[in-house]
Amino acid sequence: MRLAGPAATPVKDRVQQLEEVADRDRPWDVIVWDDPVNLMSYVVFVFRRVFGFTEDVARKLMLEVHQQGRALVASEPREQAEMYVQQLHGYGLQATMQRST
Amino acid sequence: MSRAFRRQGDHIRMQLDPVEIDLLRSLRDGLRSTLDGGDADDPVLRRLFPATVVGDDAADHELRRLLYDDLLQSRLVGLDALATLLDRGVEHRGHVRVRLDGEEAALVLGVLNDLRLAIGARIGVESLERDDLDPDDPVAYRLAVMDHLAWLQEQLLAILDPASVAHYGRPGPDA
Repeated sequence: MRLAGPAATPVKDRVQQLEEVADRDRPWDVIVWDDPVNLMSYVVFVFRRVFGFTEDVARKLMLEVHQQGRALVASEPREQAEMYVQQLHGYGLQATMQRST
Repeated sequence: MSRAFRRQGDHIRMQLDPVEIDLLRSLRDGLRSTLDGGDADDPVLRRLFPATVVGDDAADHELRRLLYDDLLQSRLVGLDALATLLDRGVEHRGHVRVRLDGEEAALVLGVLNDLRLAIGARIGVESLERDDLDPDDPVAYRLAVMDHLAWLQEQLLAILDPASVAHYGRPGPDA
């Protein structure tokens, strides 16, 4: 809240600032892509290690990657999404992130 | 073929033939020099350091740059650790045995995966028609090496995380 009177910042800039705040809050989707080399069991293992998924969840997502070519494995704030991408790349999985729609 | 990995109490025993040790050493050395070369256009590097952000080239470039050093460092540490482990091998009735703790076993699993990814990238496995290959084609040999390393990985996975191989690691009707 502020006192009535002319704002120090032009409206256009303030709208921009608001959008940036809203943008920061929008999560990032982490996607894992199918790959002809990684073993199905290895992918399940990595999902369990990185995300702590149960066996059922890890296997369901692995099958989604295998059958549909990709799977959404996490939706997180930017920094956390980057950490997941880094870990997944460390294990040799092809993982990317993009703004959640 | 005898099992290469066996749980022994809180340790895992790796038992390889001398020819497998030589193979692992040469693959390890090859990947090490590829990584040291640092040629960003090399298919192996492109595969081991893949895209990070979709739909924003600047953000992708920035994050790849940020992650590269850490990822490279952990890959080099893994490769060097594998060399050290292989050096530690003890001869036993024509085989070489190495005693691994859980962390070392997980490291070997990851390095085996990197080695397979590297071979796959080198031979262009993405667009390869396996059935059309002449058995004498060197690419067929590279594929056989990948299969062999996969077999080693499956054994490690069965020990490190049995749930991960529950339905895929065994030959059988549901494999």
